[in-house]
Amino acid sequence: MSVVLDQAVTGRLLDSEPMTIQPSKATEDKIRDFEQQAIPLMPQLYGAALRWTRNPSDAEDLVQEAMAKAFVAWAQYQQGTNLKAWLYRIMTNTHINSYNKKAKDPSKGGLDDLEDWQLGDAKSLTATTSRSAELEALDNLPSEVIRKSLLEIPEEFRMVVYYAVVDGLPYAEIAEVMGTPVGTVMSRLHRGKKLLRALLAEYAREQGYLSTETNTEKS
Amino acid sequence: MAEFDCEETKALVHEYLHNELRPEDQKDITTHLALCDSCEEEYDLEVNLNKAITRSCDEDPPQQLAEKVLDFIRKSESN
Repeated sequence: MSVVLDQAVTGRLLDSEPMTIQPSKATEDKIRDFEQQAIPLMPQLYGAALRWTRNPSDAEDLVQEAMAKAFVAWAQYQQGTNLKAWLYRIMTNTHINSYNKKAKDPSKGGLDDLEDWQLGDAKSLTATTSRSAELEALDNLPSEVIRKSLLEIPEEFRMVVYYAVVDGLPYAEIAEVMGTPVGTVMSRLHRGKKLLRALLAEYAREQGYLSTETNTEKS
Repeated sequence: MAEFDCEETKALVHEYLHNELRPEDQKDITTHLALCDSCEEEYDLEVNLNKAITRSCDEDPPQQLAEKVLDFIRKSESN
């Protein structure tokens, strides 16, 4: 019914007052379902989107686009399965398709094959610092520094770290969301955290959070 | 019972933290950590790093985002 109405008024009314068109009952129900189930997960989606896009306005666009796609595909969502993972998966695809055309660039494909030394080996960077000093520095570093450092590590590592650590997604679900085997999730998590640790140790040393190794032993 | 040495324990620290190991392995790592200061320190570091990451990623979405998304959907539905 509303389709006929829509066609009859296409153009003039749509431009001026699109909201005056009454959606069909089925559409109303679909929107209500979606509003009740998917919309409450939006804060989590936005958090992940920020890690993908690295800035708030692109993150907003990404969430909006992913949610619109999820709504279109809503009939395909199987009730009772993990909705958050389903939405994350749609957002991953949306990001890769529209925000990151370079993802298909073969030069970016071999990230997982790189050796640790090619990524910068965290061990060699943190070796000069005692672990207890590093532990203490971590507690004192401003959140802003940690947030920015996370944005500096390669995207594929960053997202796995985010999903595992902040979101607490099980490896199997991260694998599904990222479209990779579980083994890749594991190695990306390990390497991502290692890189992050190296960046934070470097920052801490530069900024004097890790003044000298003997500091803690003097007192 | 699997015996994990220090190298293996340190390598499995993430899986241990995220509860991704088989229950018996999870238990064996717990035992190792209780007896080994060096591995325990590594574990503490990863726990703290996770805490630091989590506290840094706490941004709320803009207030109107949910409304915007729903408006966008309603609009495209009525097109």
